[in-house]
Amino acid sequence: MMKRLNWLPTAVALAAVLWLVPAPATAQDAAVARAFDGHPDLNGVWQAIGTANWDLQDHPASAGPVDTGAIGSVPPGQGVVVGNDIPYKPEALAQKQQNFENRWTDDPEVKCFLPGVPRATYMPYPFRIIQGDKKIMMLYGFAEANRTVHMDKATPEPAPIDTWMGRSHGNWDGDTLVVDVGGFNGEAWFDRAGNYASYSLHVVERYTPLGPNAMMYEATIEDPNVFTEPWTIRLPLYRRLEENVQVLEYKCVEFTEDLIYGHLRKEPTR
Amino acid sequence: MRKRVSVIVAGVGAGLLLVGASVQAHHAFSAEFDANRPVRLEGKITRMEWINPHAWMHLDVTKEDGTVESWMIEAGPPGALVRRGWSRESVIPGTDVLVEGYQALDGAFRANGRDVTFPDGRRLFAGSSGTGAPLDGSDPTEAR
Repeated sequence: MMKRLNWLPTAVALAAVLWLVPAPATAQDAAVARAFDGHPDLNGVWQAIGTANWDLQDHPASAGPVDTGAIGSVPPGQGVVVGNDIPYKPEALAQKQQNFENRWTDDPEVKCFLPGVPRATYMPYPFRIIQGDKKIMMLYGFAEANRTVHMDKATPEPAPIDTWMGRSHGNWDGDTLVVDVGGFNGEAWFDRAGNYASYSLHVVERYTPLGPNAMMYEATIEDPNVFTEPWTIRLPLYRRLEENVQVLEYKCVEFTEDLIYGHLRKEPTR
Repeated sequence: MRKRVSVIVAGVGAGLLLVGASVQAHHAFSAEFDANRPVRLEGKITRMEWINPHAWMHLDVTKEDGTVESWMIEAGPPGALVRRGWSRESVIPGTDVLVEGYQALDGAFRANGRDVTFPDGRRLFAGSSGTGAPLDGSDPTEAR
C-alpha cells in the first residue's frame, strides 16, 4: 500500500515531464504493466521472432539437407550479436567451424537435448513466465525445458552440479529483470550454426519492458575457455496476444529414438 | 609428474561376488563389470556427466610409456554424490584424481568407480549401493 502511495507523486511528475517532452519511447514505458509488488509484470507467454536459433550472426539463406529442399533450408537473417562479431579464441573458433560442418548431426537440438541459456529464449517457440517475488519460473515448450530464477538469494549460490539449463539467480535493476546464470554443463550450443560455450559459461540476462507487450532481451556471454572477452546479444521478445494462448508440450525425445537407437532394434531402422 | 596405472588382477573378489550377487538392484554390477579386475587409475578429469541414474566421470590416464588411455568411470546418481560431498567444483576438467574400481567385463577402458581420491586428500565413495558390487569396504552403507 505504501508503495502505491509513494508511486503516485512520481507518476504525476512523470506525467508532467511526458506532457512537456512527448517522446514515444517514454510514453510506452509509462504503460508497463505492474505486478502486485510494483515491479513490471512479466507474467504471460512470450516469443522471439527472427532467425537467431539458426545463427546468432548475420547470415544469408543457405541450403539444408538435400532431401528436404526449401523446407529444410536456412532462412536469411540479421544477427543479434551486438557488433556481429563473436570473440572466439583461435582454438575455439576452429571448434566452432567444426561444429558448423557437422551441424546436422552434432547440434544438441537434433537429439532433443535441453537448449540451455540463452538459446531457450530465442528458439522459435513461445515460453511462459510465471512471476513471483521470491521465485520466477520460465517454462519452455521444447524438450519441456524450464528454469527457476531465484529472486530470494542475497548472493548467487554455487550450482551443486552442472546442468544443461544452469542455475539462475535474479534481481531487479529498476524495471529490468537481471538474471545471473552459471553452473552449465557446457554441452549446449547457442544456435544451429555451431556457436557454443564450455562448462565455464556465465550468462547475465537483462529483460527490460518496452511497454505491456514487448521487452528487450539482452544476454552477456562470458566464458574464459572459449572467448577472449564477454559479448552480448540483443533482441526483442514479444507477448503472444492470442486469447488463451498456451505453451504446449514439445516432447521431442520420442522423435529421436530411432535416430539414436534405431541400429539397436531387432530389425534395425537405421 | 608421472602417472601410473596398475591393473591388479586379484582373485579375492570372486568369493565376495557370490555374497554380493544376491543383492537385487535396478541393474546388477556383475552384468557389466568384473570383480576380478580391480583397477587403480591416476588421471586427469576431462569431463563429468552429471546424469541419472549414473553419473560418468571421463578420465585421461597417462601410462608409463606416455600413451594416454581415456577411461569412463561409472558413478552413483548425482543426488547421492552431492550428499556425500561431491560437487560441480570438485570435478572440474583438469582435476587430478585417483580412482579405484572394477573394469568392464569386455575389457574396455570403462570401470565401476568405488573410491575417488581428490587433490585435497578427500576420499569419497563414488558408487551405487545395492548393485551387487564386491563388499570391499568402499561403500559406507555396507558396513553393518
